[in-house]
Amino acid sequence: MKILNKYKKLMVLSSIVLLTACASEDSLKESQLDLSTPSKTTLDNWIDTNYLIPYNINVQYKWDQNTVDNNRFLYPPIQTKVQPVLEIIQKIWLNSYKAVAGPDFVKIIAPREFVLVGGVNLNTTGTITLGLAEGGKRITFFETDKVDKTNRANIKRFVHTIQHEYIHILNQTKPFDEKSMAKITPSGYSSAWYNTTDAAALEQGFLTAYAKSNINEDFAETAATILINSKAEYAAILAGITTATAVTSIKAKEAIVVKYYKDAYGIDLYALRDEAEKNTTAVINGN
Amino acid sequence: MKLKNITKYLLVAILALQLVSCDNKETLESPFNATPTERLNAKQKELNDLLESSEFGWKAVYFTDNTQLGGYTHVFKFKAGKVDMASDFDDDTASYPSEYSIELGSTVSLVFTTKNRIHLLSDSNTYPIESLRGKGYKGDFQFLYYGQENGQIIFRTNRSFEELRFVKATASDWTDLAKSRLMIPNVIGASSRPLFRLLETNDGSKISQFDFSFTAATRFATANSIETGSTLSNNMGIAYTPTGITVSPAVVVGTQKLSDFTYDPATGSFNATGTAGVTASIKYSNKPLVITEDYKILLNPNQQLVYAYIYNLTNTAPTNSALFTSLLKETEAALTPGIIIQRIQPWFNNPDGTNYIEYRFAYASAPTTIIARYYHYFTFTSNAATSTVALTHVKWKTSTSATAANVTAPAFLKNLDDQFMNPQGLYFIRQYGLGYTAYTFTSTSTPFRMTAYSFQ
Repeated sequence: MKILNKYKKLMVLSSIVLLTACASEDSLKESQLDLSTPSKTTLDNWIDTNYLIPYNINVQYKWDQNTVDNNRFLYPPIQTKVQPVLEIIQKIWLNSYKAVAGPDFVKIIAPREFVLVGGVNLNTTGTITLGLAEGGKRITFFETDKVDKTNRANIKRFVHTIQHEYIHILNQTKPFDEKSMAKITPSGYSSAWYNTTDAAALEQGFLTAYAKSNINEDFAETAATILINSKAEYAAILAGITTATAVTSIKAKEAIVVKYYKDAYGIDLYALRDEAEKNTTAVINGN
Repeated sequence: MKLKNITKYLLVAILALQLVSCDNKETLESPFNATPTERLNAKQKELNDLLESSEFGWKAVYFTDNTQLGGYTHVFKFKAGKVDMASDFDDDTASYPSEYSIELGSTVSLVFTTKNRIHLLSDSNTYPIESLRGKGYKGDFQFLYYGQENGQIIFRTNRSFEELRFVKATASDWTDLAKSRLMIPNVIGASSRPLFRLLETNDGSKISQFDFSFTAATRFATANSIETGSTLSNNMGIAYTPTGITVSPAVVVGTQKLSDFTYDPATGSFNATGTAGVTASIKYSNKPLVITEDYKILLNPNQQLVYAYIYNLTNTAPTNSALFTSLLKETEAALTPGIIIQRIQPWFNNPDGTNYIEYRFAYASAPTTIIARYYHYFTFTSNAATSTVALTHVKWKTSTSATAANVTAPAFLKNLDDQFMNPQGLYFIRQYGLGYTAYTFTSTSTPFRMTAYSFQ
């Protein structure tokens, strides 16, 4: 018992020492690292006004090796190309969703960062990556130097990236009917999708070759293709298909996409398409 | 009891540790007299001050990968986050503005954050050769700062850790980029120059020769030793300068490294000079680098031998020289449109003791139907010292029949035919790798070389 008491006292003593130990630290000083905000250019201010403040989307156009794959040979955009490219995304993507789904829709479900890369992301297989969505938070756009505001095909190709990647983000928030989607063209999916041309993919019931990679990409490609084309252009694509079952498959996928937009978000996909089409024409006409 | 003692001592030890544990960290002496953060900040400022300090900016000859690509010269002028830059990547050698930043990562680095000339080396979609698809010119535009040496800034590239040195630029470095571009045709070489090109090194006592071949798209040259059994090579990336070229890796001669070559317009050679008689020279030669004794095949008077340039076969051989091709075209241009030279066929040691070159003509649309023939009869001698044969004119005929009359020499064949009748002689050398047995007839004094199929 005596020994136990002694221990107890010792324990108390040591805990007091522990608790009061090192009490007199110097108060924290300012960081020695330079944390000041770099001076902002007109472009930076424009981005703040149009992206950062209203949508909480950060746009990174200056090179940062941590946001880009270091094994790829890419380069930052030409500075003068940054604002025109962002204006295209704003008009055709942001404004269309704003008009059809309400002003807060994109504010709530949105990527938090855009990364702009000037160069083409050419893979060693010969395929080209147009965009990347990472964790639903960051979208990387490639080839921004090549965007030509006056060329409709060029704009469609560029807008395809944001439409496609944003659909992934929507899917990550609310899943689509994967079971029904998987049943339509189950044998067409392949990791070697790039061996198929877009024209051949159409005859197999896929709107693009990339849609063949898996059902998630198929869903995104189906929705994106509808959104970047006008009603007439889309009808022309379907009319050009000679295989009857392929048309049926694409129409079945289209129905799933339309239902998803309606049920999950209350958006009329066709109204969204018409709005995007109106805005695309406005961009080409320089408005 | 024993266990209790151990516990007791342990407790005392812990207590003692606690009592002495709170030492004042601030008094710790750093061996560098500053905290790591302070030192990184100082480095950052040091690099930026250094970059801004040079009046005409900095020059860097960037060899992105000197095992397969050459050097690209860039000049930079830094000022408060902005950089003006020019490069000799293509004919646009003007200066353009963009931004840079000094960043803190594993070390302090210089990053060209918005697009400018240096990014042309890092475009996955613009590559000089198929094997570099997706890799461009393997360029980087983030450079890790490794300090200074003799007024030069030492960087290593972020991806592949290639050393890259920035040297202080002069006012003329900015205008020299355009002049460097004018050096390119000299490095590629002209068809009017002698046919063979070699790198010759002299270490003061021994001369070594390397077969030199340059590819303009990659700015890279291969140079393999011509000595039998030697695997030595001096492959090099090449950067253009107003007066010549700079190569990397340097050519090692003896113990010296030579990297700066000066162009000599008279001979078309590029020369580098070291000390104590050490030199390296990239030069032209009319003499093949490897001379064989193949000409002796022709010397047996009892063996008939036939060789031929054949339309649709040897005309695509890479061993035909530009002069041969142009003489052929020139000769064909003098004929009725549609007619081509179907064969140029030297016959040696015919049973009747004659030798001749047979020229056959046909329409390109029906090359097997011969519409005309010329025979140039010759005698020939050999020269053992130079390993050559020389053909001497005898007569011209249009048929080999003994009774056929001589004809006057056809004027339209003269320029082409004169190359064979060169009194200084021809080299006759076996060629490999063409898919058929072939020999070349090569002039000893002009860049003329014809590839011939061997019927033997």
